Parts: sequence; C-alpha cells; structure tokens
Amino acid sequence: MTAEESDLVLVKRVQRGDKTAFDLLVRKYQHKVVKLVLRYVRNPAEAEDIAQEAFIKAYRALPQFRGDSAFYTWMYRIAINTAKNSLASRDRSPIAYDLDLTDPEESHSVQTKLQDPDTPEGMALTEEIRGIVNSAIEGLPEELKTAIVLRELDGLSYEEIAAAMECPVGTVRSRIFRAREAIDKRLREVFEGGLGRTEEMV
Amino acid sequence: MNEERQNERDSQLSAMFDGELSVAECDLLARRLARDEALRAQWSRYSLIGAALRAERGVKLHDRVAVRVQAQISQEASYGDSTGGDSALAVRPTVAASAVGGGADRWMRFARPMFGAGIAAGVAAASILWLRSQESPEILAANPIPRTVTLAPDTTGGTVAVDAAAAIERVSNGEPERYTTPAPSNSISIAPPARLANYVVAHSEYSSPMTRRMALLGLVASDGTGLPAEDAAPAAPRSEAGSQDNAH
Repeated sequence: MTAEESDLVLVKRVQRGDKTAFDLLVRKYQHKVVKLVLRYVRNPAEAEDIAQEAFIKAYRALPQFRGDSAFYTWMYRIAINTAKNSLASRDRSPIAYDLDLTDPEESHSVQTKLQDPDTPEGMALTEEIRGIVNSAIEGLPEELKTAIVLRELDGLSYEEIAAAMECPVGTVRSRIFRAREAIDKRLREVFEGGLGRTEEMV
Repeated sequence: MNEERQNERDSQLSAMFDGELSVAECDLLARRLARDEALRAQWSRYSLIGAALRAERGVKLHDRVAVRVQAQISQEASYGDSTGGDSALAVRPTVAASAVGGGADRWMRFARPMFGAGIAAGVAAASILWLRSQESPEILAANPIPRTVTLAPDTTGGTVAVDAAAAIERVSNGEPERYTTPAPSNSISIAPPARLANYVVAHSEYSSPMTRRMALLGLVASDGTGLPAEDAAPAAPRSEAGSQDNAH
C-alpha cells in the first residue's frame, strides 16, 4: 500500500460522511500546504489563512474527487490556485490606499503585510522545533536514524528502505516507529502540553 | 490498554501515516482515530516531525489550520450516509437504521411495480366486464352509439360537425381535427365492436402499435354491418389515424 492509497482510504471515509477523516488529511498535509503557499505570500499568518481556505475548498469539492491522482497532488493544485487568486484579489483591493501611512501603527501594519513578516517569535519556534528534532535524531541508534531519514527526507517506501538496509519490511516499520516515538518523546518533554494543541494553548 | 498493544497500535499509526498499512487495517484505525483525540494529536506530531526534519518553513507546534478547518466543516453537511456526525460513531446509528429499513425498502422496490400491474389489470378487467354488460340489447337500445364526427368550417364562418368520411375528403390537404361524440343510431349490430373500438382508441397509449392495429383490424373484420371484410378494411387506417390522434 502506498501513501496515496492510504490517503484514499481517508478520502473515501470523508465521502461516506466521516469528517474526522478529513481532519486527519488536514493534519497530515497542513505543514506542506502552508510551506507551499509561503512561496506566494511571505506572511505566515496569511499563508495559514490561504491554506485554510484551500482545505475548505478541497472539502467541498471532495465528492467530485475520484482518486485519479493522489490526494496531495489534487490538494497541491487547489492550494496554488487559492494562493494565486488571493494574490490577484489583494492586488485589486483598494484597502492600502485607505490607510493613513503617516500613522506609525498603520504604517507598520502595511509594512508587515508587504514585507517578510516572519515574526522573530515564530522563527525562533520553528528553529527550536527543528533543533530538538535534529538533536533527537542524532541521539538515535544508527539503524533508527537511517530508517527515519530515508523515509522522511528521501521519501523511500518501506520496501525500498528494506532493500537499502538489507532487512525485512517489518523491521523497517518497527525502526521508523521507534525513531518517531523517540523524537516525539523529546518534543513532548520540551513543549509539555503544547504539542498537537490549538495555538491558544501553546 | 497494555503497553504491548499500545505499541502495536502506535506502530500501525506510524505505518498508516507512511501509507504502509493494508486498506483493511487503515480503515479500522481510521475509525479508532475518529474517536481518539490523543491518537489524532500523535498523528499531528508525526506530521510535525517530518516537517521539522525537512526543515520546512512555517512549522508550528499548533494545529491552527486544522482546528480552523475542522470548526468550519463541522458546520457543513456531511457527505454520504452520515447525517452530520463528526465521527464513525455518529455514522453508526444511520447505518444501523438503514440496515433495519433495508428489508422493507427492498420489498417495496419489487412490490411497487406489482401493485401497479395489479391495478392496471383490475381496471382492464372491470372495463371488459362493463363492456360485456353493455352488449345486451336492452342496454344498447337505451344508450347511444358513438360515431366519429369531424369539426369542419361552416360557410358562415362557424363550425359544424360532419360525418368523418366526408370530412376527411373535404380536408384532405390538412389534418382534420377529430373528436368522438355519441350519436344515436339504430344499428345495433355494429354497436359492440364500435364501443370496443372506442375503448381501444381511448386506451391506445397503453398498447403497442402492432397490438392496436391487430385489434382494430379484428374489430373491422368482425363488423356486423353486413359489409364484406375487404370493404370494411379501408376504414381501419382512419380508425388508426384517429387513435393516434387521440393517443397524442
């Protein structure tokens, strides 16, 4: 079974009325979609808004999704179109002309929208998460580290990893799971109560 | 849940995230995920770990996008069998209800055409019995016999009813407007076939063209006017034309 087929199981569940299955798809791809949208808009908050809109569009269009392409490929196109439309509508929007740029607060607001607005806090958080994940990986036994890197960075299937590491597929599955558990445990220790929660709780 | 089972479930979750779980196991775990928020949070963290490993920009600890999307779609209608439930558990009563009602639905699907056919057969039988009862001379004498007449323009600009045969000749270059009206007649001998013909014409939309033609030819051939069958035969197309008009 491939990732596409796994996603298709969730898609079919959504089409049968299970909204939680769509939540799983959103949780799985939200980072990828936000990253994709950040190619078009530089404001992470705006990128999240666009990603949200793209997911809603996808949900509404899901009855027409027949599985001819992978769910993420389909989602990718929706996200790009939504980002482009957002840019086009922003270009047409006269809001900027209504702002008093002599007002320091409003001027700062406009600058935040037009320039790279990755806030220092947001950047620091991203860097901190990355740092913890990388240090956790460094602390893993070699076979676990290789397995998770081949999976997450190189995108190899379990079968391909098994061939590369000369071990059974079941062992690959176990190694990847144990690597994730170790990293997850480290993240939970640092960000106690903050993982997988809403922003307000972080 | 003991540690071993939990490890196996978490291992399945990791494999499902990578698309390396069988469809059946995937579906089972998806049901579990639908009612286990802690497991969904774990799923989110697997996504976060991958994003952090790939050094993706904008990686955040929170699931703001997912939370907002979930809040918005929870207000929208569900697809498929579910009636707005947020989990597989919510789907279950609907599925169970449809399973209970399934037998009745299936029975109705087959019974409905049977009812229709039964009603049609009953009406046909009643009509035939009624027509048979009309065959007695007393009743026939009391009831007028229908004849086909045609509306034709009068010289004064009005419209008069004339005999069908004459009218057809008069308006041969156009389609005459016909209707059937009861007209008194003393010719008792032709009454039953004529009534039957009217009945066939009136119900012609329910019979095939071939059946209709055969019935009408049979009626004409058995006409009791004393005319030979060859002489009566040309009347058949007229009747048929009339029946087609009526059918339309």
